[in-house]
Amino acid sequence: MLDFTEASLKKILTRYNVALEKAMTPEEAAEEIYPKDELIYPIAKAIFEGEEDDVIEGLQAAIDAGKDPIALIDDALMVGMGVVTRLYDEGIIFLPNVMMSADAMLDGIEFCKENSETAPVTKGTVVCHVAEGDVHDIGKNIVTALLRANGYDVVDLGRDVPVDEVINAVIANKPLMVTGTALMTTTMYAFKEVNDKLLEKGYKIPFACGGGAVNQDFVSQFALGVYGEEAADAPKIADAIIAGTTDVATLRDKFHKH
Amino acid sequence: MAAKRYTSMAYASADEMTFGVSKYPVKAGLDLEIGAGYTIPEINYAPRPEAGSSKEKLIKEYQRITTDIMERMVQVGFPAVILETEHVQQMSNNPSWGAEVAHAQKTIMEEYHDEYGIKCALRHTIGDIRENRDFLQLRGDKYSVFLEAFEECAKAGADLLAVESMGGKEVFDYAVLRNDIAGMLYGIGCLGSIDMEMIWSDIAAIAKKTGTVASGDTDCAQANTAMFIGGGLLNKNLAHTLAVLARAISAPRSLVAYECGAVGPGKDCGYENVIIKAITGMPMTQEGKTSTCAHSDVMGNLIMQCCDCWSNESVEYHGEFGGTTVQCWSETLAYDCALMNTALETKNEKVLRDLFMLSDRYRDPQSYVLAYDNAYKVGQAIVKDGDNIYLRAKNAAVECCNIVNEGAAGKLELSRFEAKALADAKAALEVLPDDMDKFMDDCLTKYKSEVKVFLPENYGF
Repeated sequence: MLDFTEASLKKILTRYNVALEKAMTPEEAAEEIYPKDELIYPIAKAIFEGEEDDVIEGLQAAIDAGKDPIALIDDALMVGMGVVTRLYDEGIIFLPNVMMSADAMLDGIEFCKENSETAPVTKGTVVCHVAEGDVHDIGKNIVTALLRANGYDVVDLGRDVPVDEVINAVIANKPLMVTGTALMTTTMYAFKEVNDKLLEKGYKIPFACGGGAVNQDFVSQFALGVYGEEAADAPKIADAIIAGTTDVATLRDKFHKH
Repeated sequence: MAAKRYTSMAYASADEMTFGVSKYPVKAGLDLEIGAGYTIPEINYAPRPEAGSSKEKLIKEYQRITTDIMERMVQVGFPAVILETEHVQQMSNNPSWGAEVAHAQKTIMEEYHDEYGIKCALRHTIGDIRENRDFLQLRGDKYSVFLEAFEECAKAGADLLAVESMGGKEVFDYAVLRNDIAGMLYGIGCLGSIDMEMIWSDIAAIAKKTGTVASGDTDCAQANTAMFIGGGLLNKNLAHTLAVLARAISAPRSLVAYECGAVGPGKDCGYENVIIKAITGMPMTQEGKTSTCAHSDVMGNLIMQCCDCWSNESVEYHGEFGGTTVQCWSETLAYDCALMNTALETKNEKVLRDLFMLSDRYRDPQSYVLAYDNAYKVGQAIVKDGDNIYLRAKNAAVECCNIVNEGAAGKLELSRFEAKALADAKAALEVLPDDMDKFMDDCLTKYKSEVKVFLPENYGF
């Protein structure tokens, strides 16, 4: 069978992921940025490791030591999740780590809520859905996990969501943005209907769209559309909005890559 | 019919396999013989989004598409072509729509065949519509409509029947985002295989009744999901060593179609098809460098190595500088086939096969495992316990780990992250039981509790 020599192989392809890999392991990188507080550190570490039971144990210890459960959401859980999302953004850890950490964080938030009579304050609300007629929801599930990991309250409408249900959710929840995902060219047309009905009702909020067959040209055709090429763009668009960039044209300048 | 399990390989060695030649060629459509010594372009397309608004618009769109393709094939002098229509959901949910499209397409193809003698066949890939908004609904009313769609299309002119079925996807989607190798094995290898046995027994019976060809199924819903999430070299969403494990596990799952009466050609997006060809000897369609219109992959040349039909996956119908998209892409596919067929006619096919394979062999762990010599080894691991759907899927995964590890000891470079993901997966596989009943019981308990959209009754539990 034909084969390369080591030298000839290098003329054919380059494994850039190997060539550019960071020297530090994920665990070492996380250790450098964990909070130092002895009650918060084990919670943040348990979030990073995606260990739900250890998160609860750490929270219980902190509450026993006098910490306010609701304050712990921001001061411990979100700090731990911040380590995770930062390392993901830097390319040091991969998406499954984020998903497992997000699961652990959500368990932690529930535990904090159960141990308090006040409600937590989030960074804002985002309404997420999969286009009407489309049942492919893995992309939407990634988007919702990443939004929650970044401190947003998510109203997850699920898949194959009728246009009117999206509009009603916007009216009821006053989100800072709506996300829509679709796999198929034939279902993504529902995005335009969502856009038109939002405008008709007077809601000029950004509508971040992405997934399978969706592309920047298509999303740019409707007034509220902002194209997100990666699921990880969703929390970044939300962050830009709460930082004051609510204008769709400016968001497009920032996030449209093509 | 009951599944007739494969416990041996169709080919005595990997080197016997080439493109354009299969052990069991398939006659289909208008004078076409697939896997009988020549490769065939298989063009796939999607209507423009607005075409789905009515049945009449949809039929008109497919008539334009079909005419454009047939016209271009004749204009450039290509002797054979397959058209693949992947149903948009309206065509499978309303079987009469799918049937009318099939009839309209076949009428045009017959005209070209009558006038020019061009050999051709029409594949209809029915949409797996067995779900509602909240859950998969693999059995019951939706299943009846699903089967009706196959039968109506077969009666109306489709020659090759196919589907990309979704059994096990609810568990797989959960597992793949959590590096959960046992869940991937359960979703694809066990749940997927159970569902495949049900549907392919029925689809094969429809093909027999209608004189059409039960062609095959791909694990697009799961293994391709893993491949797409894995993305390119710099994407950080899934280790490619896990994506290739999903692929290896998908082979015994997609094999079930052929164990229940399908005869090929397996559908284009089944990158696992090279493993299945090694086991069954049946012809397979593949896609790679010519499917960049639909998605990127890391084995665009390699995957041509043993194809019998060569596809573009899908392209939206619209205009380009060189004609409509279906004209441009069918011409590209047909030129690739002309090169492969030239190699076959001049007895240079093994040289070209090896050039295709070698150009991508070390590009990625996914291409490394699917190189025909390694794919053959995965096939051997599957048939070793061919009678046990769990063990053969586990064997495929273990063999895949071994192949990547052996490669990494040589010229296959792995990132530290990929190597760790592989080591973790191998460790997880090593602690799994050998007893299928225990594995199934453990997984049923675990995923019923963790995956809220998992309904065991979908699988007859």
